[in-house]
Amino acid sequence: MSVELPFQISIPDSKLDLLRQKLALTEFPDELENTGWNYEEAKLNQDLPQFTKDIDVNGFETLNIHYVHQKSSLANAIPLLFVHGWPGSFIEVRKILPLLVQSSPQFPAFHVVALSLPGFGFSEGAHKPGFAPEQYAEVAHNLMLSLGYHEYVTQGGDWGYLITRIIAHKYGGKHSKAWHTNFPLATPLNFSVNPILFLQHLFTPYTAAEKAGIERSKRFEKEGQGYFHEQSTKPQTLGYSLADSPVGLLAWIYEKLATWTDSYPWTDDEVLTWVTIFYFSRAGPAASIRIYYEFIHSANGSQPSSFEPTIPLGVSHFPEELRITPRKFVHSVGNLVFQVEHSTGGHFAAYECPDELVDDLREMFGKQGPAFGVVPGKNGYEQRIRANL
Amino acid sequence: MSNSFKIAVSSTALSALKSRIESATFPDELDDAGWAYGVPLADMKRLVARWRDGFDWRQEEQKLNNELPQFTRDIEVDGFGSLNVHYVYKKSDRGTGIPLLFVHGWPGSFLESRKIIPLLTKGSGDSQCPVFDVVAISLPGFGFSEAPKKKGFSLSQYVEVSHKLMIALGYTEYVTQGGDLGSRVTAGIARRYGGMHSKAWHTNVLFSMPPENDDPSSYTASEKEGLARWQEFQRSGSGYFQLHSTKPQTLGYSLADSPVGLLAWIYEKLVSWSDNYPWTDDEVLTWVSIYWFSRAGPAASIRFYYEVAHSGQALGTKSSPPTIPMGCSLFPKELIRIPKSWYPGVGDVVFEAEHDKGGHFAAHEQPELLVGDLRKMFGKGGPVYGVVTGRDGYN
Repeated sequence: MSVELPFQISIPDSKLDLLRQKLALTEFPDELENTGWNYEEAKLNQDLPQFTKDIDVNGFETLNIHYVHQKSSLANAIPLLFVHGWPGSFIEVRKILPLLVQSSPQFPAFHVVALSLPGFGFSEGAHKPGFAPEQYAEVAHNLMLSLGYHEYVTQGGDWGYLITRIIAHKYGGKHSKAWHTNFPLATPLNFSVNPILFLQHLFTPYTAAEKAGIERSKRFEKEGQGYFHEQSTKPQTLGYSLADSPVGLLAWIYEKLATWTDSYPWTDDEVLTWVTIFYFSRAGPAASIRIYYEFIHSANGSQPSSFEPTIPLGVSHFPEELRITPRKFVHSVGNLVFQVEHSTGGHFAAYECPDELVDDLREMFGKQGPAFGVVPGKNGYEQRIRANL
Repeated sequence: MSNSFKIAVSSTALSALKSRIESATFPDELDDAGWAYGVPLADMKRLVARWRDGFDWRQEEQKLNNELPQFTRDIEVDGFGSLNVHYVYKKSDRGTGIPLLFVHGWPGSFLESRKIIPLLTKGSGDSQCPVFDVVAISLPGFGFSEAPKKKGFSLSQYVEVSHKLMIALGYTEYVTQGGDLGSRVTAGIARRYGGMHSKAWHTNVLFSMPPENDDPSSYTASEKEGLARWQEFQRSGSGYFQLHSTKPQTLGYSLADSPVGLLAWIYEKLVSWSDNYPWTDDEVLTWVSIYWFSRAGPAASIRFYYEVAHSGQALGTKSSPPTIPMGCSLFPKELIRIPKSWYPGVGDVVFEAEHDKGGHFAAHEQPELLVGDLRKMFGKGGPVYGVVTGRDGYN
């Protein structure tokens, strides 16, 4: 049994000094000089109860994992694992956390675990090659078990989508009971694989939103995938720039923050906090992008369809997501029981549209919802005391 | 009016570089990663240590200035105003040299002419050997040439500026040699100015689309292998191309701010694109320093890819091949190798030589082989002997 240790972000002054030294060599010192990191660090530590724990991974070294963990005041709240992506981090749980743990007769409450994926935030990164999405899934699942959550549900976008899909496939039924995603990547329908869906799709006209989404997806494919290609083939080469240049790292990440969101009004400090987590991450900024390489080179790389989960799936569509999956395709992602379309919001749904995302989860897992009571004994509501007859 | 030019990096720039190198921060590396994920950490640490402690830019700078006579002049480019262009220019030692424009690519520079210029201008001592007047341009945005300030400076403009340089030097007729992006530029010159000005062109990389009635079952084993290598390159080695073609500015912040990042970005290609060329650390550092100290900065050169991709001139766009005679030298580790049946899409191939060693940076890796081919192609008895009026490379 590995020991849970409380964790506070605490970047040493020597590292801050080195960062300032590098920034002083660039041409825009004024904006970045007063990063106010110490203030942001304190706020993060205040808002997000954090811990670390050693987690075993089959075939790899034990990894010390950093995570946010907050229990609801309601004892039988639904255990929920939140999995971020790239260039995200545990910070993406920040706004939904206080809402999810809330207890009310109107909606279910959740106990929330938001891990830093290995190589991100303050989690250790793997040192051996071959640490692929399946391993990330194993870490996340083992973390839930080690916290006593043998049955749980998940929410994820970006890499969190694939990782929670793998969790749903490998640990679904027994452990993972339902999964929700805002990034339902689906491969185009194939007549021989899903004949009914294929025909339904053929005869269902695209909505205006789907058409716009398809255009957006095409543009992303044409103009927006350079980072994916480089990160999945030469992450080390790129990594030298990201590790050595805070300005380079800032540009690399900020480009995504701006273009992948739906006109989200990022403040400079928000952006800098987000990027600083990468800059001061435990494994260094070059580590996080290795997941792309390992994914492409893994046995199941580029074939998410080899994972076929059967547990209930909920999907929230946000219009400025990178790839839009037409409605009929979504059925091929999993056992779709819940689907909502929003009119605003982008890739970082939990951060951009926390209220909408939480509403969706409350609806999916709520008393009238299709996944109500999916975790036995933990339906997220106050237990009603029945009088003994 | 041309001005004589000497590379003279300021001491401010040198000490700024030193400060950055001194505060270099390295990433970690996966166990036994080798080259699979990119440049190995040990290589980077060794190169950066040399850059910090032993590499003497002033000495390299002086050697370059001694070996390569350099100039700058203003060239007008339609719609873009005047650009100050840097170039190397050496006339033949004897006789009437064939005017040859040499066009580099990325991550190359005018430096790639360094080894071939003495061979081309001096000849071999054999009276049968033709000599050349060599012009090696720094493409706008590279080396010590100005970069365009406006969007849309694409292949047509690189073609125009290169041609106008030759005209400005008094060569109304000339021939060209180019690899990498230089191959695209010289193909463009052959298309637009071929016949009247460009009389023949030579390249070490051929690219065209397959012909309409293409029959893959007729490919030879080596042609199949060449196509497979090209596919593998696209699969695992073309991330840089995608980035340059879509988000050069985002990447540019890293390349401009981190000499270590720039070194890795370029060094990866120097090694993986050459045929076991025994790069010395100082060779690599000199090459990368040209980018670091370039007039327009390291972020400028990669915009070439973006502009070409967005101007309807992307690689693979159908266009009619040039009609002037062309020659090609095939080196085994070149990135692209097309089957012979695709040649008509490239041009009128009158000379072809195949070698069993050498890679992408042919002029730097195998200068004798490349120059040997040019001598055969343009010399007496060759298929384009005397193609430039009055300048046949002999007395």
